[in-house]
Amino acid sequence: MNSNKKLSKKEAKKLLLLATLAGRIMLRNGAETYRVEDTIERICKSRKEVKYANVFSTPTGIFVSIEFGEEVLSHIMRIKSTKIDLNKIDQVNQFSREFVNSQMSTEEGLKRLREIDKIEDYKPIIKYLAGGISCSFFSLLFQGGYREFLSSFFIGFIVTLIVGRLNKYKVTFFISNFIGAIIASVLSISISNIGFSQNINAMIIASIMPLVPGVAITNAMRDTISGDFVSGLSRAIEAIFSALAIAFGVGFVLNIYF
Amino acid sequence: MVIIKTLIFAFLSTVGFSVLFTTPKDSIVKAGIVGSIGWGLYYISSLVLNNSIISTLIASISIGIVGELFAKYYKKPATVFIIPGIIPLVPGAGMYYTMLELVEKNYYAAVDMGTETFFLAAAISIGLIISTTLSTSIKRAKSKN
Repeated sequence: MNSNKKLSKKEAKKLLLLATLAGRIMLRNGAETYRVEDTIERICKSRKEVKYANVFSTPTGIFVSIEFGEEVLSHIMRIKSTKIDLNKIDQVNQFSREFVNSQMSTEEGLKRLREIDKIEDYKPIIKYLAGGISCSFFSLLFQGGYREFLSSFFIGFIVTLIVGRLNKYKVTFFISNFIGAIIASVLSISISNIGFSQNINAMIIASIMPLVPGVAITNAMRDTISGDFVSGLSRAIEAIFSALAIAFGVGFVLNIYF
Repeated sequence: MVIIKTLIFAFLSTVGFSVLFTTPKDSIVKAGIVGSIGWGLYYISSLVLNNSIISTLIASISIGIVGELFAKYYKKPATVFIIPGIIPLVPGAGMYYTMLELVEKNYYAAVDMGTETFFLAAAISIGLIISTTLSTSIKRAKSKN
């Protein structure tokens, strides 16, 4: 494909598809709305035959329309499941930079994007271990000793394992956070009942940390500042509800225990 | 000595979170550094000021700024560094203590804790707003020149 060749209508359609696919991968893996809109717009406008491109995106859908020649092409994509995979966001970001600055054909771009979409996550066992490590060191930040360290490692491992499994079956975030918090507090209380460690507070606090809605808070704020109020609000609601789910889960167990 | 220990613990715990969020392999250590800078500032300022809300604000501003700087320097999205770094500041402890007081029927204490938790979350948000606004306005000023 040489750089002087004009974009045919078929290729313009493919360009639109490619841009939406890039946006979809970013949005599904937890990118901010403005980044998604910016990426799509840049990809579309990078080819000079496309005069006009406009994007509207919320956390649950992407709407793109471009003007090509005499026609207006548009594409709507509904986004359903969301998870967090910062690596894919980074990969798509790099890809879009490359695509815009080169004369890569849309064919090849689509292929590259599909490859990015298939990139493997870290292995589940590494994720569970990471959950255990983060919980155990967090318990040390909350004045835990080595007993709390060991038990938080165990609890964090189990909680990330179960929540990961639940997310695989597409359980709503509310239910998975609720169940995760219940498991964290039940295990902490039973460990203290065995007599291994008396510091229930440090253990519960540390082991609910992998569930807290840090991503939702961060993205809600970044969206709101960049003027995407719809996305900002919906992410803020997500943050509030996940926090409520965790609090309910912990409160539920404590209520039975005390 | 205690501060060094705290920094190491915060670093390792942020590294754990960054693996949970599938941070790219070459950014895991950097995200850990962001997290330990944030928690270190939180720890020191809460010792000095004895006010966790202001300390959280300071920490989240610094996390935002360092995250944006790293993002610019390493050409990655800023969220790669900010999301894992911000997690230790999220008031999980406040949520837990609020629930504990509610369950023990200390409603006054529960409202007290709940309000503090809410303000901690607000402090994180305001800190992120301040740092992001700063970085975008600097970018705009630079691109105008």
